[in-house]
Amino acid sequence: MSRLSVMLAIGTVTARGLVGRRRTLLMLLVAGAPVILGAFLRIGNAGPRPNRLEPSLEGLLVSSVMPLVALVFGTAALGAELDDGTAIHILTKPIPRWTIILPKLVVAGGLSAGLLVVSTILSGALIGGLGQNELQITTAFAVGVAIGSFLYVSIFLALSAATSRGLIIGLAYALVWEGLLAGALPGTQLLSVREYVRGIVSALAPPDTPGLSSVVGSQGFLYAGVALVVITVLASLRLGVYQVRSVD
Amino acid sequence: MTEPVPAPTTPATGGTGAASGAGVATAGLATSDQPIVLDAVSRWFGNVVAVNDISFAIGSGITGLLGPNGAGKSTLLHLLSGLLEPSAGRVLIEGRPAWRDPAIYRRIGLVPEREAVQPFLTGRQFVELAARLQELPDPEAAARRAIATVDLGPVADRTVGTYSKGMRQRVKIAAALVHEPPILLLDEPFNGMDPRQRLHMMDLLRTMAAAGRTILFSSHILEEVERLADGILVIHAGRLAASGDYREIRRLMTDRPHTFLVRSSDDRALAAAFLAEPAVFGAELRDERLTIRVSEFAGFTRSVARVARDAGVRLFEVSPTDDSLESVFEYLVSRR
Repeated sequence: MSRLSVMLAIGTVTARGLVGRRRTLLMLLVAGAPVILGAFLRIGNAGPRPNRLEPSLEGLLVSSVMPLVALVFGTAALGAELDDGTAIHILTKPIPRWTIILPKLVVAGGLSAGLLVVSTILSGALIGGLGQNELQITTAFAVGVAIGSFLYVSIFLALSAATSRGLIIGLAYALVWEGLLAGALPGTQLLSVREYVRGIVSALAPPDTPGLSSVVGSQGFLYAGVALVVITVLASLRLGVYQVRSVD
Repeated sequence: MTEPVPAPTTPATGGTGAASGAGVATAGLATSDQPIVLDAVSRWFGNVVAVNDISFAIGSGITGLLGPNGAGKSTLLHLLSGLLEPSAGRVLIEGRPAWRDPAIYRRIGLVPEREAVQPFLTGRQFVELAARLQELPDPEAAARRAIATVDLGPVADRTVGTYSKGMRQRVKIAAALVHEPPILLLDEPFNGMDPRQRLHMMDLLRTMAAAGRTILFSSHILEEVERLADGILVIHAGRLAASGDYREIRRLMTDRPHTFLVRSSDDRALAAAFLAEPAVFGAELRDERLTIRVSEFAGFTRSVARVARDAGVRLFEVSPTDDSLESVFEYLVSRR
């Protein structure tokens, strides 16, 4: 009960820090971009375009908006607090480090997932319409981006605990590792959140949905679950040996 | 409370050494049961040596950590509060290594130098957060007590973002005190406080020290340390220049003459009498003020009354003129 109360306190402060800032407005705009594009597509085509649904959600939401939103919330939840010194007030308390990481993961992951799920559903409905098949694809993507958000946030929390350049390295991971290397070196896809999300979507979407394939096959849930646990543990361990980054 | 110090393990300024002062010691560290022990501790960042082979032990009372900006004071406090791993040596809090042991935070309260406090929290919420993270049974009551202790009650429900620098310092001190730790580590705690708040805070720290707490505070302001600290640690360029009671340190500076101002019924006769003493190597009479330079502090203070009596002169005043902390500090730093 006491641990729960500690995590609730940390989660509340983290949420207030994340929500009360300009970055949330910016993230609303970023997450809203697919919805706006979906609206333009819908108006331009005078109706839904089911054949554009999968490429739009995969290309825009999974590949671009999801890592960006999670990167911003994930690094802000810990990295920004470590940089501005406010995290010291939490770190100098007699609590296990996982009780710091876990609520931050829940809050930052929850905020990212919340925004992205809404964005996915709205943009999916606008682009693909409300047919049963399209709804199932949209739902599959919504589940995928929700899980992917938490996974990305866990990575960015771990990077923030490990280095003051968490934001840059996180960006490099999303752009270079997942974007460029994944195409050139297929083996790197085994360590790609984007691939796990694709695996989750392909497991949940109708079997005949075109364009959905992943190196992890339909094992996206398993890969994502294992990765989430491992990275969260690593982030907690890394925070346990966190050292202030100043010389005086 | 005070351990005898025969010789410094960390060589301090030549001829000075570490003096036994309130709660500060630099000998017998391996077996010391003092709450704070640093044993041959160094810390470097790449090629920069921030703390260089420092050893000391601190007992209850107030100890001032004195040094110019960039001397290594904050690094030392971060080592003590488990926020930095020593590159070499041991940092012990109540006998347990400070590094990688969150349990020490039940025993210490840290006031970091940086002002950073979540600006959207009220002062009360900030202190209550500290109480909750300390897993105290009644965090609201603990926060109320801590806020009252630092005299922040009237503004406790304002957001910290609206606080002055001094208020932010005090709310950080309240958060550090909320679990009533036996050890307090304060990094430049008086920064931004107005004179009244400063006096109040000094009184508070004295009261806590009198109750048996171990308080270590850093400052680059000599006057603060002189007024508050029972003992001092002088750190310069990452090394311990001296430790102990600063007046005692001054007395151990045998390679630097001590200067006394003397007022008497016949200054000229007294000056002549003093010049016959082996420990006295200078006397100056100017503007009806007699200044005596001596090589040995204790020897002079023992002989001064006898010399005056033998010369048939009445003494009105004998006071050391260079016994201030500033004088000690300038001397130690100039020698490093």
